Amino acid sequence: MLTIEKLKEFGADVDTGLSRCVNNEALYFRLIEMAVREPSVLSLGEALKANDLDKAFAEAHKLKGVMGNLSLTPIFEPVSQLTELLRNKTPGDYESLYSEILKKTEELKIFLG
Amino acid sequence: MVNKERDFNVSGGKRRVLLVEDEIVNQEIMRTILNDTYEVIVAETGEDAIKIVSSQYETLSIVLLDLNLPGISGIEVLRRLKDDPTYSRLPVIVMTADSDAEVECLTLGAIDFIPKPYPQPKVILARILRTVELSEDRDILRFTERDRLTGLYNKEFFYRYVSQFDLYHKDVPTDAIVFDINHFRTINDRYGKTRGDEILRNIAENASNVADDVGGIVCRNEPDEFMLYCPRRNDYDSVLDRLSVVTEDGENGENRIRLRMGVYSDADKTLDVERRFDRAKMAADAVRGNLTEPIGFYDNSMRETEVLAAQLIDDFPSALREKQFVVFYQPKFDVRYSEPVLSSAEALVRWKHPKLGMVSPGVFIPLFEQNGLIQQLDHYVWSETGAQIRRWKENFNMSVPVSVNVSRVDLYDSGLVNKLLNIVKENGLNVRELILEVTESAYTENSEKIVEKVKQLRELGFLIEMDDFGSGYSSLSMLSYLPIDALKLDMQFIRNAFNGNKDTRLLEAMIRLAGSFEVPTIAEGVETEEQVFTLKAMGCDFIQGYYFSRPLPANEFERFIEEKKAPFNRLENVRQTG
Repeated sequence: MLTIEKLKEFGADVDTGLSRCVNNEALYFRLIEMAVREPSVLSLGEALKANDLDKAFAEAHKLKGVMGNLSLTPIFEPVSQLTELLRNKTPGDYESLYSEILKKTEELKIFLG
Repeated sequence: MVNKERDFNVSGGKRRVLLVEDEIVNQEIMRTILNDTYEVIVAETGEDAIKIVSSQYETLSIVLLDLNLPGISGIEVLRRLKDDPTYSRLPVIVMTADSDAEVECLTLGAIDFIPKPYPQPKVILARILRTVELSEDRDILRFTERDRLTGLYNKEFFYRYVSQFDLYHKDVPTDAIVFDINHFRTINDRYGKTRGDEILRNIAENASNVADDVGGIVCRNEPDEFMLYCPRRNDYDSVLDRLSVVTEDGENGENRIRLRMGVYSDADKTLDVERRFDRAKMAADAVRGNLTEPIGFYDNSMRETEVLAAQLIDDFPSALREKQFVVFYQPKFDVRYSEPVLSSAEALVRWKHPKLGMVSPGVFIPLFEQNGLIQQLDHYVWSETGAQIRRWKENFNMSVPVSVNVSRVDLYDSGLVNKLLNIVKENGLNVRELILEVTESAYTENSEKIVEKVKQLRELGFLIEMDDFGSGYSSLSMLSYLPIDALKLDMQFIRNAFNGNKDTRLLEAMIRLAGSFEVPTIAEGVETEEQVFTLKAMGCDFIQGYYFSRPLPANEFERFIEEKKAPFNRLENVRQTG
């Protein structure tokens, strides 16, 4: 069961995220659930594996918008870094950034049950 | 004061926002933020966005565009919208997490940005509202929004808001209502312009209050004409009552200013706004001068009139080409002597319509006056008349001057003088043979300009008869400064003088006064011997009417010319035989 406390513990900027949802807690939680089940998370991994950097950029970019809007900072931060690297196809540790994203997403999924 | 800065409220219909966003979480957040203020339509792909804009752009207030879309990109959507002049006025705000894209979007015509992650909902709402209002203001500012005297909307602005009202109230039946003051000019004459303006402002204030209460919009159109658009009602009497004003009338106490109203109820929204109000105006005109029934309703018979009018307008060009318009001539007799003598004629046009038969000038003249076709018709009549005068001169060796009508709109035509001079020249006439009749009401409209034009014509030698004197708002003082050669007393005025209690005092006063300014008078519409006798006794100089003859085709008119020639012929015979 997701709660505000758990989200805060997780590291989300709950106040900002909630205010974007006009302080509608139920809506906020529902959108978080949608976000962590977002197919982009998996497509991003697949694109990286296939070394399709354009596709990976598009997916990362999309995730960045979503995670940012929900203020899920622990996911938003690695997604942002990854997006910037992919934008110019700068070589970097895509792998570990992606596993961080995956890890944090899984953490949230556990909260959600 | 009515100068309320209240904006017309299109409530019930929220402004519509097109949200182009494929990501469901972002969609949901934005929808939640906007929902209270706007109606949100969502497009998930660029293709869908273009489709929605092209079918609904008139009702959209703004597009919120994500750049990262499946299919055609947001940038491409923006480019297509801004390249098409039909949609380019629609403001687009780009939503992006990518500050690098901003310059490109601005260059392409995006008006603002909403970054991702989204700022606070308040900020988003404020940006959208500001953008929408700026864009609406820009559209609307082209028109001078309000009428200075009353603070009401002017016509152009009003029509735009009526259209907007319709967009947001598609299923609400509405009324187009026109109201004006009976004989407003007499009010100005009687109380002065300042008072007249004050009365107009009072009516405007009442109208504004009524519009507020009934959820409608109101504007001032012509000096004393107002238009009201509102959800359909059935209490027109009370609406009219609330619009009316009472003014102090010095020793006479209070005087109620009479309004008349035309209602086009449950107006057909497929018609142009202007057409709908034309219908209301027709309804108002139908009760002109009717003091007991001040409200007219647009009905089927008016619809028939309208259909006929449309046909006549359509048929006009071919009628002119095929000479379906025939000029008839009605004699004017000089009655200053013991025997009446033919002095001149008036040219009157008839329409021999191939399908409708003879169409009365009472039907087509007012119509053509309204839409300006009268100018072409007048010119046609002048030419035909000029040629006829020439033929009579040639055939009878006698000059029969004929008067032709010069409509108000002709007097504003800078080519008028040349047109008339050409006709005179082409037919080898003396300018005095083509007499010009100018209607009295033309003088009152824009006196200075008209007076100047008429003076110019007189200086060239044309004789000017003032037509319809006594029909409208004649002021006898006009005689002292108007350049005219004869005064034609209106037919209806003559009839009224001889009707019922036979009060001919005003008629007599007019003839006397005209006489004292040495302006001869011509009585029109004279039908009986008694009228001729009385008019002669009052000092009227010329008489025209059925008593002598109805308007005749040129060949039939010739018997009057022959008659007039007869004494000369006799004299000639005597000379020859003697």
